[in-house]
Amino acid sequence: MGPVELLHMSVFSQSFSPCGRFLAAGNNYGEIAVFSLSAALSPDASEASQKPILNFTAHDGPVFSLLSTDTHLLSAGNGEISAWSWAELIKKSTKAAWTRKPSYETSLEIPEINAMIINPKDNSLIVGGGDNNIHIMDMETGIFKSVLKGHTDYIHCLCFKEREEEILSGGEDGAVRIWDARTNRPVHCIEVFKYEECARPQFGKWISCLATDSDWMLCGGGPSLSLWHLRSMSPTSVFPLPGCQREAVFYQDLIMSVGEGPHVSHCLHGGTVKAQIPCTPSSLNTLALNLKNSEHRVMTVGGSSHQIDVFTNFSYRAFSLSF
Amino acid sequence: MSSDAVKKRKPKVVRNEAGTPETKRSRAEGDQLSAVSSHVEFRKVRLRQVQEVRVYNEEVELEDRDPQQDYMLYKDTCADLAKLMAEIQELKSSGAKVGSVEIEERHRQCSVHFITLKKLNRLAHMRLKKGRDQTHEAKQRVDVLHLQLQNLLYEVMHLQKEISKCLEFKSQHEEIELVSEEEFFQEAPAEISRPHVTRDDNHQLTLARLDWELEQRKRLAEQYKMSLARKEKIQKAIEQKREYLSSLQPGLQNIMQASLPVQEYLSMPFEQMQKQAEVARHLPPPLYVLLVQAAAYGQACGKTHIFTLNKTLSVNISGDVDEAKALSRRPEDSQEDESDSDAEEEQQNTKRRRATVGVQLEDKRKAMLRRHPLSLCVDLKCKDGSVLHLVFYYLMNLNILTVKTKVSTATDLSGAVSAGELLNSESLLNCLYASDHGKETPNPANRYQFDKVGITTFADYVSDLGHPYVWVQKLGGLQFSSDGAQVALSASHMEKTMKLLRGRLQARLALHKQFSSLEHSIIPVSSECQHLFPAKVVSGLTRWTMMSYQEFTELGFVQHVLKAGLVCETDLFFMAVVERGTARLLAAVVLNPRYPEVMPLFSLSLHWKGERSGRTEDNLRAMESEVNVFRAELQGPRPGLQLLTNQIQRLCVCLDVYLETESQVCDGSEGPREFPREKMCLRTARGPSRLKPFKYNHPQGFFSHR
Repeated sequence: MGPVELLHMSVFSQSFSPCGRFLAAGNNYGEIAVFSLSAALSPDASEASQKPILNFTAHDGPVFSLLSTDTHLLSAGNGEISAWSWAELIKKSTKAAWTRKPSYETSLEIPEINAMIINPKDNSLIVGGGDNNIHIMDMETGIFKSVLKGHTDYIHCLCFKEREEEILSGGEDGAVRIWDARTNRPVHCIEVFKYEECARPQFGKWISCLATDSDWMLCGGGPSLSLWHLRSMSPTSVFPLPGCQREAVFYQDLIMSVGEGPHVSHCLHGGTVKAQIPCTPSSLNTLALNLKNSEHRVMTVGGSSHQIDVFTNFSYRAFSLSF
Repeated sequence: MSSDAVKKRKPKVVRNEAGTPETKRSRAEGDQLSAVSSHVEFRKVRLRQVQEVRVYNEEVELEDRDPQQDYMLYKDTCADLAKLMAEIQELKSSGAKVGSVEIEERHRQCSVHFITLKKLNRLAHMRLKKGRDQTHEAKQRVDVLHLQLQNLLYEVMHLQKEISKCLEFKSQHEEIELVSEEEFFQEAPAEISRPHVTRDDNHQLTLARLDWELEQRKRLAEQYKMSLARKEKIQKAIEQKREYLSSLQPGLQNIMQASLPVQEYLSMPFEQMQKQAEVARHLPPPLYVLLVQAAAYGQACGKTHIFTLNKTLSVNISGDVDEAKALSRRPEDSQEDESDSDAEEEQQNTKRRRATVGVQLEDKRKAMLRRHPLSLCVDLKCKDGSVLHLVFYYLMNLNILTVKTKVSTATDLSGAVSAGELLNSESLLNCLYASDHGKETPNPANRYQFDKVGITTFADYVSDLGHPYVWVQKLGGLQFSSDGAQVALSASHMEKTMKLLRGRLQARLALHKQFSSLEHSIIPVSSECQHLFPAKVVSGLTRWTMMSYQEFTELGFVQHVLKAGLVCETDLFFMAVVERGTARLLAAVVLNPRYPEVMPLFSLSLHWKGERSGRTEDNLRAMESEVNVFRAELQGPRPGLQLLTNQIQRLCVCLDVYLETESQVCDGSEGPREFPREKMCLRTARGPSRLKPFKYNHPQGFFSHR
């Protein structure tokens, strides 16, 4: 990897290992790098420990989504999903455990996969991407058992509500659709750009981030990042963030959000921006919280840079991991 | 009883007298005359006996007497005398008359005793005298003996000295290095070695070895004499042959002269080559190495290009040959003189001539930077007829090679303003190998030389003296330890360097051509590369200008490139402006001297509905990577001389795609679109960062995502 390639690298996805000691990150060249958090966070960390312990090419296209199950790392490339055993990755072996492709109708261009989530209730993998449809794969058998059709443009993001067993999906068409995971039928459709409070026509209507917490939903993208009350299906607060947001999460009583602009925004539920923490990349694609391991409780963000910023205290950048 | 014993013994004594007087004396000493009465009797007997044998001699008598006895006798006599005196006293006191019988008797006895005493006295005197004599005699004997002893001791000492002298004696033969014993027994003939004698006798052995040595030396001397004679003979023969050869010279020269027209006619420049070889003898070693290697490489190449009928590489020597001859005749002397005078001058400087220090330093600098009067011109021809002229100089005192370059082209290359730097001799060969800028001297020793005369950096003199690139030193066989451990011969660098030089020239000429088109806002896409781009490209280049490093660094949208350390001051910087309608795309281009090996690096800034740059917008960033990263797609036919043109053309295509898809996304009902969608795209956005489809698929003609 030459310096020019490094200059043009973007990090799209991250996932912590089940043990919480490792971080996998995927970039636009189809590479996955595995970092050792325990080494990077140890008191005697050197520059070398901020480099990946393993770096391999997983897919042809960019790796837009990474997901960890109890044993495996799932990575989404150009229209295919590969699984890598964490145990093997730590031993630096880079042989895929399996690779599956959803059945696509289009043939000219292979649709990308933008989002993957696990439905823990029936152990299925929910995949959304470039063909506007949501594919559901049974993790036991590896068979794609159903397709949810409804979006008119490609799907940016997915979210799962465990209590109601509902799947939420946000897409380029500007709609947040809610599906019943048991019957695979659409339940609701919120067209966010039609609400004046959130609409931003100068950007567009796409929804690129979704998050839920009991009855609450966060969504943003072309429209402003906004907090919705799901039972009443109305926006309760709109956050005055200038750029388009790409990822937002609930964390305790805070909402953290990343997107265009070199900073992580801390927002309060009431609709105020509490802080904007500067970071290295000029725009951010992904934010991940490592809550599985109390020892390595960190937040990592990646974006249009080969560097992944690590926050040990969430209010300032501690150091950067680097591809 | 005792007197009896004495009587009996006496005759014996007399008989024995002549034999051993000593034993007799000792026996006499052993006897004790116990009684006074017997003493008188004894005396009478003795007197009688002496008278019988010989005449009385008191001295003889003395010998017979025992002093101890005499002493006893004396004591007894004295006691008797005292007793008698006491009796007389007693008698007298008892009233006896003076003349009475008893007293008279006692008077007589007294007289006898006195006589005895007298005798004893005499004897004592005589004994004393005798004793003295004996002592004296003995003393004399002792003296004689002592003298003898002294003599003997002296003799012993002398002998010891002689012995040690003998022991210390060093024979000359010990200094002669002899062959070892085994060798001696092996080699020497039996009559010299005589093993039966010398095996046991060390002395004989040494003698024999010395003999053998002498023998051998004699033999060698003989041989030496013979060799000398032979040498003499050979020398004479050489002399004769030399004379013969020199007599040949004029004849040969005549033949050469006569053959000149033939040579010219056949275009075989033997003469010229010979002359060059003659001059080459005066070249300094590095230039000579360079000459030989370059000539060899030129010949090897000439064969491969035999059909083109012109040599691709020619080497010439230029400069003042006489001066070089003078220099090569006594290079060491001049060197020493110089350093000596340097030292002297320095002293003088410090003493009194401070005012002229500057002038002198200047002179010294000049002397240090002096180059060898001969230089080497290497002309490298390219297929299209342009020639790269390289002139190699040798700086004698710095021990480095420098090179000056000039390009002469087959076609006229005027017109391109921004191309001025391209064929500039200053920068033409920069970074032929990575980070070889040719500004600083590669010889680490020069640093100290410079300090002495106050030169801060060699870069100030580069325009005068030429560039001391590291590859030039390598071609000349000069190795300086700074560049790692690999030591390679000049020959191993020649081919690679010549290829690089030719590649560099071709790249520069190709760039030159491209620049002159670009300045006229024409993107000269070659026919081989047409398939990389769609047929219709609306965006067009409107400006192509040069920038300085300073100007480049002041641009806001290149900071990330600067920060990544991808820009060097020796690079060339350009600003390209691509326009379509109201949109204006600025592209700052970093052109590495090693183009096309290193891709030009573009940084973008779009002025359209506000300003966006690759820093702030993902799509512009994607455009940057589209032109910067995918070298394999863009370089066209090897070695990729069309790279820059293709990059600019792709930039135009990307701008088209960007504008056409962008307007579709965000315009609502603002009247007619400024940029109607003409490019065929499968999807206008993809992935989380909603990138536009910048990748052109050739035969189908649509745009897709990476």
